[in-house]
Amino acid sequence: MPHGDWAAFSFEGIGTHWEVSTPHVLAPSAQQDLLALVEKFDAAWSRFRTDSLVSAMARKPGSYSFPAEAAGLGELYRTLYGLTGGAMTPLVGASLERLGYDAAYTLRPSGGPLPAPRWENILDWNGTSISTTAPVVLDVGAAGKGLLVDVLASALEAGGVEAFMVDASGDLLVRGPGTVRVGLEHPYNPAQAIGVVELGGRALCASAANRRAWGDGLHHVLDATTGQPVRTAVATWALADTAAVADALATALFFVPGAVLEESFDVSWLTVFSDGSAAFSAEFEGTLFA
Amino acid sequence: MRPSALNRPVRKSIYVGIAGLSLMGTVAGCAPSAAENNPVSTAGGASAAATTPSAGESALASSGSSYKDGTYSADGTYVSPNGNETVGVQLTLASGKVTDVQITQHPSNPNTRKFQGEFAGGIAAQVVGRNIEDLNVSKVAGSSLTSGGFNQAVEQIKSEAQ
Repeated sequence: MPHGDWAAFSFEGIGTHWEVSTPHVLAPSAQQDLLALVEKFDAAWSRFRTDSLVSAMARKPGSYSFPAEAAGLGELYRTLYGLTGGAMTPLVGASLERLGYDAAYTLRPSGGPLPAPRWENILDWNGTSISTTAPVVLDVGAAGKGLLVDVLASALEAGGVEAFMVDASGDLLVRGPGTVRVGLEHPYNPAQAIGVVELGGRALCASAANRRAWGDGLHHVLDATTGQPVRTAVATWALADTAAVADALATALFFVPGAVLEESFDVSWLTVFSDGSAAFSAEFEGTLFA
Repeated sequence: MRPSALNRPVRKSIYVGIAGLSLMGTVAGCAPSAAENNPVSTAGGASAAATTPSAGESALASSGSSYKDGTYSADGTYVSPNGNETVGVQLTLASGKVTDVQITQHPSNPNTRKFQGEFAGGIAAQVVGRNIEDLNVSKVAGSSLTSGGFNQAVEQIKSEAQ
């Protein structure tokens, strides 16, 4: 909680743990409103339930009307689709299913890797209207959790709650006066942090490729073509005004340097690499332990 | 209170498949010391790996089940929509204990080298971890959810070793 005496409302949603902290206990009706929003979000966007909109779209192409949050999400994805050269796309769903990450959790590939279809060939995302010309498995996982954070934040604000914090298992949004001290989780050791950020009025989201033993091993993993230790992004953080943007950009940092994202977004970023080094924008200066 | 049917991840989930690994380097005696049930991914394993190599001391599981000796490999692929980030896990088992752990990545992202470009900000040669319990923080921003890929690779290895 931002302050020790704040009240926390915890629940499970879209496969993760949530905590909404407020100066005063949320009224039961407000709590129910938040849960209803979570359910509504899941019913629209989850490809893991057969009754969702995206599941319907996967079965039958056509034009589908999504909830209001779809408009900003579409723009965000379209921008990042361009910036990442098509690498980051909501059309990756079928690729995930091919690898076994399907609604039944097969966890077995059903064939070789399947490249995602090209956006312009198959998808017309116009505001809240999404039209497809072929069955499409939409997956908004790269920004979905952050987007739901924003949806809940909007509801809280509409309900007159001016100061709050939403914690979606490590993706955070703080609104109202004051700041919250947030540890930056060590990519390979959840008991440790690599720095501390004072978060106020914005969202801080993280993404990580994996977690395992720290880079001592990786220092010795060489790319034989260069003789250099393998160096790839393993953990990223993004600070932005909305959690959807922070969430999506944390993912995008795996594809493009933060400096490129800064050209299109108001974002501060931090990328930690497999060799234990880090790169960061100006705002993260001084936040890392030395 | 809790919406049912929502306990499915929307992101950061996991595919685990069988694959051989080619490890180009060695861990040089730095097999992560394992915590209790999960040999290589539990809290504390990271820094402990650097300071207290303890190969051979790690019980693979506390369940009492036995495992065949040998070296087992599995890939855990983290398949968030940013594509595939694959972690290779190779465990060597002897007498039911993990005697060696090797981790490697299969960087699939051709943009990796771009990360080394210029930007306004800074770089750190090496990040330094401090124990969260020693820090006066209210929250932690991270990706705890993503440990699943690794954990599942380990689980697969365990099942195949039985």
